[in-house]
Amino acid sequence: MSKESEKAYSTLEKESLICGRCGYCRSACPVYRVVGWESAAPRGKISMAREIFSKQNPNKVSDDFVKRLSQCTLCGACANECSTDIDTRKLWLDLRRRIADLGKEPKAYGAIRDNLLANKNITTFDNDDRLEWAQDLDEPEQLEPRVGADVAYFVGCVSAFFPQAAQIPLAIAEILTESEVDFTTMGGEEWCCGFPLISTGFVENSEEFIKHNVEKIKELDIHTLIASCASCYHVWKHDSEDALEGYDLKVMHTTEYLSELIKQGKIELNELDEIVTFHDPCDLGRNGGIYDAPREIINSIPGVQFVELAHNKAASLCCGGGGNLQSVDPETAAKITQLRVEEIKATGATIVVSACQQCEQMLIAAIQKAKLPVRVLDISQLILEAL
Amino acid sequence: MNKEIVQELLDKYGDRATDSMFERSLYARDLAPVPSLLVNPLFNTLPDIIVRPANTEEIAEIMRTAYANNIPVTPRAGGSTVYFDSVPIKSGILMDLNLIKGVVGLDQDGMSVTVNAGTTWSELDEYLNNKGLAPKSFPSSAPAATIGGWFCMMGYGIGSMKYGSLLSQVKSIEVVFPDGKVQKLTRETKPALDWFVASEGTLGVITELEIEVRKLNNMKHFLLQLPDAVRMLDTMKAIISAPIVPYNMHFSDQECLKAMHALGFAPANIETGCIIGIDYEGSDEELKQAQEVIDSLTAANRIVNPVPEETAELEWEERFKALKLKRGGPSVLGAEVWLPIENLPAYLNDVQRMSRGYSLNLFSYGHVVTPEYATVMTTFYADETHTIKYIINLSMVKKIHDIGHKYGGHPYGVGLWNSPMVGRIHKPPQLTELRKRKQNIDSKGIMNPGKVYRSPLMLNPFNYSMGMNVLAGVRKVFGKGW
Repeated sequence: MSKESEKAYSTLEKESLICGRCGYCRSACPVYRVVGWESAAPRGKISMAREIFSKQNPNKVSDDFVKRLSQCTLCGACANECSTDIDTRKLWLDLRRRIADLGKEPKAYGAIRDNLLANKNITTFDNDDRLEWAQDLDEPEQLEPRVGADVAYFVGCVSAFFPQAAQIPLAIAEILTESEVDFTTMGGEEWCCGFPLISTGFVENSEEFIKHNVEKIKELDIHTLIASCASCYHVWKHDSEDALEGYDLKVMHTTEYLSELIKQGKIELNELDEIVTFHDPCDLGRNGGIYDAPREIINSIPGVQFVELAHNKAASLCCGGGGNLQSVDPETAAKITQLRVEEIKATGATIVVSACQQCEQMLIAAIQKAKLPVRVLDISQLILEAL
Repeated sequence: MNKEIVQELLDKYGDRATDSMFERSLYARDLAPVPSLLVNPLFNTLPDIIVRPANTEEIAEIMRTAYANNIPVTPRAGGSTVYFDSVPIKSGILMDLNLIKGVVGLDQDGMSVTVNAGTTWSELDEYLNNKGLAPKSFPSSAPAATIGGWFCMMGYGIGSMKYGSLLSQVKSIEVVFPDGKVQKLTRETKPALDWFVASEGTLGVITELEIEVRKLNNMKHFLLQLPDAVRMLDTMKAIISAPIVPYNMHFSDQECLKAMHALGFAPANIETGCIIGIDYEGSDEELKQAQEVIDSLTAANRIVNPVPEETAELEWEERFKALKLKRGGPSVLGAEVWLPIENLPAYLNDVQRMSRGYSLNLFSYGHVVTPEYATVMTTFYADETHTIKYIINLSMVKKIHDIGHKYGGHPYGVGLWNSPMVGRIHKPPQLTELRKRKQNIDSKGIMNPGKVYRSPLMLNPFNYSMGMNVLAGVRKVFGKGW
């Protein structure tokens, strides 16, 4: 049993049978931790999937089962623990697709899809207003799509439209400008990356979004794309391979890109007297394999005392905001965030940094509720403070 | 179960109790995928209600209700065994103990920790490691298995070789008896805590345990390839008799290596012979001695082939993942046998003879857990989606146990499915004593009924043996390629 575990996925029918019901996943699952019932544990859900799909009883799909499937943050902690090496994240996505194919998805999922198809972003705002946040820059017009730029910044829906997240793209734009990076954005031609469609089971719809974005990147002759949203990054890096076939595009998360700029001496950082901890976003860390870049950035700031959370890197706890859980069960999502906030509190950190807008939104709400004297910052905002 | 009592419990425990069919169905099974066609006509595995108590007082309260109304109670935490140990067979109350979690206190001077029974071994390990300590031993299913759960089984696993059984490390336990009485038990009390080891939840609910801990030491890992089972045993004995005691020793036979190789995770891509993994923990001096033991063994004997150290370390990293072999399934059937290591080569030889006789591919792996005994898992691939063939394949489990019995072994754990073989596990005087204890403590027979002491009527040894032998005969004639 000596080969380092590589996750596998064949078909839902086969993997559901391969599951050994050992329960390692249960111990790691944040949803099980707050719900407490076996049906909320990954092994419970897979047991039911086995009865329904492996044994070909699609009529056994019940509302209870659909509810439990939607109670999942897609954090991948179960895959990390799986004794039979099942890529359970793929399994959950496959299950949600099967449920959608049967027309039995939660109502909230249908609403997400309909809105995305209509607006091309996760809000009801006009997609042409994607650069509204940039009005606070000295020269907002510099961000309009431009052919042949060295780098395209894929802003993402949350940063583009949620006022409370606008500081993140502003920080990134400012850092890139300060570092004299030749960069652009896709402006109103940027559509949602497609992740909300993949995660709700509407994979075919997501392909239209991925295809559109890839076509626009090609039209702009872009060969390096950076994303500050961990989920957008994940889609570009792992779900767009078919659409990108034959095209040379380097996809990086902003943590990777900014870390390189720091190493190249293009960003000079001043002293910050803070205790900083880092929350690994699931799609960046466990599901994306990027652990070092954000830590390198934090540790490169003079004066900063970096402390790890009790569960970090591959063992990190989810913030509760993934997998569209908030749209179907905000109460469970908030309880999961609370688990993470307890760990943040235990570090004594004055700043908790992350690299995902959704994580940051969840943590801000929970930390405010807990009245903790801790600031939540995106890693780009931390860099900006140190510039 | 009386509907009024169900409602009373639902009202009292709110969102920590449920009688939903959807939820209950998941508590009617454990790891073993035994077909409903076989289970449902014989047993009522569906609990009437599941309750998740949060503390000892609530457990006692539930027990008082059950005791007053003669309701069967099945305690369950990790639910990670395969013999229906924590699956009800007479419905009743399923007590989910997963909220009874966390460390109660650490005595660093006395080197012991008091821990709630529903804490997993990995959770305890993580807690102790942060303080430079570690459990003395733990099961090979540590990420899911709980402290109380392993104590309720036999408690032999990783670390037992050096530190003995879990029983030898437990200083006290807190128990809720069937009538709701709560008592702390030690070796001196009546009953003594020893009564509860391997009791599989049939005497009461264990809520808290005080166990010895050890210093977290550095480790050294070795992996040796041997040409056959006889040389494997010789090597095991040489290691066991050396002055330094291994922390853990596990092995895989030739067929298991082949199965791993076919799936792409055989250590160092080895496909032939057998392997032994040996793990040492201790001071630098002890680890130096361990290195010398292995070095002298390999230098003196050319047939002992050491596998690169990094592979041995990886093997240790993957110590909880034996189930990975299930990827060759989809299903796996098998038997875990408590076997004198002296007879390991003869046992493995007979297993291979059985493989040929039944056109099966049996493979074995296990842990040497004392200087004399090993727990040996002998398994084969099956497919639970073909129900009839799968049920017939179950007869092979009995045949494996027969080989174990022939060589002085017996099933490791009883639960429901091994209850027809309880006479092989315990000698008659021991069994009489165990039954007397059960009668003394649980005269109403409400604690996890149908397990451990005698088989239910339909599974009595005669019926079981005859039924399984007939199925094995069918398997032999028609089962090639199943």
